[in-house]
Amino acid sequence: MTVAPPLANPLRAGPRLARTPQPCALVIFGATGDLAARKIVPALYNLALQRLLPAAFAVVGAARADLTSEHFRESLHADLVKFSRTKPINEDVWRSFAESVHYVSTRDGEGYETLRHTLADLDVRAGTNGNRLFYFATPPSAYGPITDLIKQHRLTENVNARVVVEKPFGHDLESATELSEKLQGVFTEDEIFRIDHYLGKETVQNILVLRFANGIFEPIWNRQYVDHVQITVAESLGIEERGAYYEQAGALRDILQNHLLQLVALVGMEPPVSFDAKSVRDEKLKVLRAIRPITMEQTDTNVVRGQYGPGFIEGAPVPGYCDEDDVADDSMTETFLAIRTFIDNWRWEGTPFYLRTGKRLPKRTTEIAIQFRAAPHAVFSQEAAEGMEPNALVLRIQPDEGISLKFGAKVPVQGIRIRSVNMDFVYGASFMVDAPDAYETLIIDALRGDATLFTRQDEVEQQWRFVDPIAQAWAKGRGPVPVYPAGTWGPAEADLLIAEDGRTWRKP
Amino acid sequence: MNVMTTIDESVWGARTDGVSALERELARLRRSSGAHAKEQGVPVARASVLNLVVFATREIHARRAAETVNELATRHPSRAIVIVADREPGGRAELEMHCQLSHPDGAQQVTYEQILIRARGAADRRLVSAVIPLLLPDLPVFLWWTETPPLDLPYFDDLVWLADRLIVDSGDFARPDHTLPRLHAVARSGANRYGVTDFNWTRITPWRELVTQFFDVPAWRPFLDTITGIRVGFAVDADGREIHPSQALLFIGWLASRLGWSAVESLAPSEAGGLLFAMRRPDGQDIPVRVRPRFIPGLDEGDLSGLRIQSEVGGRHAEFVVKRSETATHATALVTVGGRGMSERIVPLGRPGVSELLGEELTIARSDSIYEDALAVLVALTTG
Repeated sequence: MTVAPPLANPLRAGPRLARTPQPCALVIFGATGDLAARKIVPALYNLALQRLLPAAFAVVGAARADLTSEHFRESLHADLVKFSRTKPINEDVWRSFAESVHYVSTRDGEGYETLRHTLADLDVRAGTNGNRLFYFATPPSAYGPITDLIKQHRLTENVNARVVVEKPFGHDLESATELSEKLQGVFTEDEIFRIDHYLGKETVQNILVLRFANGIFEPIWNRQYVDHVQITVAESLGIEERGAYYEQAGALRDILQNHLLQLVALVGMEPPVSFDAKSVRDEKLKVLRAIRPITMEQTDTNVVRGQYGPGFIEGAPVPGYCDEDDVADDSMTETFLAIRTFIDNWRWEGTPFYLRTGKRLPKRTTEIAIQFRAAPHAVFSQEAAEGMEPNALVLRIQPDEGISLKFGAKVPVQGIRIRSVNMDFVYGASFMVDAPDAYETLIIDALRGDATLFTRQDEVEQQWRFVDPIAQAWAKGRGPVPVYPAGTWGPAEADLLIAEDGRTWRKP
Repeated sequence: MNVMTTIDESVWGARTDGVSALERELARLRRSSGAHAKEQGVPVARASVLNLVVFATREIHARRAAETVNELATRHPSRAIVIVADREPGGRAELEMHCQLSHPDGAQQVTYEQILIRARGAADRRLVSAVIPLLLPDLPVFLWWTETPPLDLPYFDDLVWLADRLIVDSGDFARPDHTLPRLHAVARSGANRYGVTDFNWTRITPWRELVTQFFDVPAWRPFLDTITGIRVGFAVDADGREIHPSQALLFIGWLASRLGWSAVESLAPSEAGGLLFAMRRPDGQDIPVRVRPRFIPGLDEGDLSGLRIQSEVGGRHAEFVVKRSETATHATALVTVGGRGMSERIVPLGRPGVSELLGEELTIARSDSIYEDALAVLVALTTG
């Protein structure tokens, strides 16, 4: 179901011209929803500002509401004013962009027929030429029905179609597989782009650059030199208005299943043969499969959960989780988890990976810390070495993106005294451009058909395979969920988990 | 008697006596800056990604260049070595050095180092010996020549020999028609050692991008092989002073080199002012090219004001137009096929300042063969 490849464009050469995608029609399902308003449309507008959209481009919003294209554009404009990362809005550019925006009400089958005609018309009139990107910005429960209707109304016939789906991708292995099978009734796996927006972040991509564009890190990136790895994804926010969703998801499904495990994969993976979708994702899958499973029985000893109680964030009092809107008074949903896991392969055998994530932690920060082994032999007197700590390489993902290396240095006094110093590379200071928003990067990639930064079915399934037993153990378990005051680094149990191994959590 | 202005130490920092004294002074400044930062609990990092050597013959140019570098310091932390060489005849040859540490706006964690080398009298050949020990080791060296580079003089060779990239602005050349062909020779001869770039090339990147986007569209792509005519407009000031249309010619040179066109005649002025000449497509068809001056208040002299590409496939006529808005903030990109408007887009297209241009250049660490090819066509046209 592909169209003949277009003639190459001899003008597109050299280091300065951008990665502009091919002409395309972008169909947003759930176009009147939150995601479209907050992320997708602002990203598209900012791409237009940077002249990164193709000359032949159209957006078709599809949703149940009965709207004219005119009204749809107006409401998008209002959202844009609120959510664009660049302000004020450049009205000329917006107006010109908005002319390529259309709306179709897909309340019923007739709506899908209209959609088919609209797209066929755009292929000719706007020059989108049979390239279509469907973006499912709806609740996951709608993915199935929309896919059926796309098939039924032959929206992908004789065209070059792709689909972008948002997380959560399923709620366990079974539902994720089912969902993939559903989508594969219409799209091939190569045409399915599952978004994990963490992968669109500059600094996450920089993990691969740091590891594989430098010769000095890889030789020590293994069990011989690394004592353990700590990954922290901390948020100071609570659940905001997402109580209903969060009650179902919890930290396990919301963060561990996707973002945290993807970070583990990027840190732990073997070097890919090249930076293309297949090579990178093959290697990620390999390492995901090597993560030692935690069975239901082992959950208690290797995983700690917690739930925030009332406390203080940045000096202001905040309510506990059970007092949030749309949350049951006796909710057992975890808002924090800490986990000890291992990667059973040649490179990482016996090196623990400690992962933790939570809401209402003292600050918003995401970091990966590679903690190296201590120097093998104590050359210096104990007194001199008192300030000495093992080396650590810390990759800070957000905020304050950067890399720091901690090493011991001599204090400039008579005799030997050693202190740890941090050698700091502040990403924003060396390249202080406004990093593009993750959605801008990912939308451009999806339009170009580059799936490197999207997760593949086997990765997603492997991630669920890891998470499912833990979810089942918790669903069965009675015991109370430990409560931690908002504004602290989680329950005391988390400290015990790592202290058992004679280690401590970093204070990121 | 020395009549030259003295160096303003509030701008350039204290005078130091030689390279090692200068390094000591920088170390002292770093220490005090570090102590100051410690009080505020912010660690200071000395991040450097490149060396930037700036050459100017007048202090005012050097000062402007230093401001530009300062604006860029957060994006491209560097050691900046600014050379001011006012070559007063008869003066005693000497070099004077100043240095200071600067915190670019809003970035408390970064410092960058700025060094001034003031050359008096016939000190040209001494410059390079002062620059070499000041370069941060193992980082690329960008040489930004703020005026017409003296391509034939030995001290230019001395400095360019240090550089990984030479950055010039043909918009500032006194005689671009003379200098550009020489620059091309310099680019050729330096092919494996350094890359050459011109801000006028950077200025037309968005134009090239917009034109390239037209032909990304499969339906319009065939028109690229059968172009029948091109018009490019460039800005002149109100008194209609003679301006060399380097940007326009680079743009045409780019199209020609990408599409395999050859020059069949050298440039001839057309009746209405500007230039009219023909180029030849690979299939032997001649293409009339017109370069026209326009007076547009918001634009700098030489800036592109608009372009129109005409083409025909199987009797169907098409036009691809990029037009700059009166306010010089936007452009309209239009496509007409068979007399019917197919697409009209408004995109931002401002006039980038020097710091944007330089910032863009500093991100490109290798030579740009696309530019050299475009320049070659320009040279072929202008030298006949």
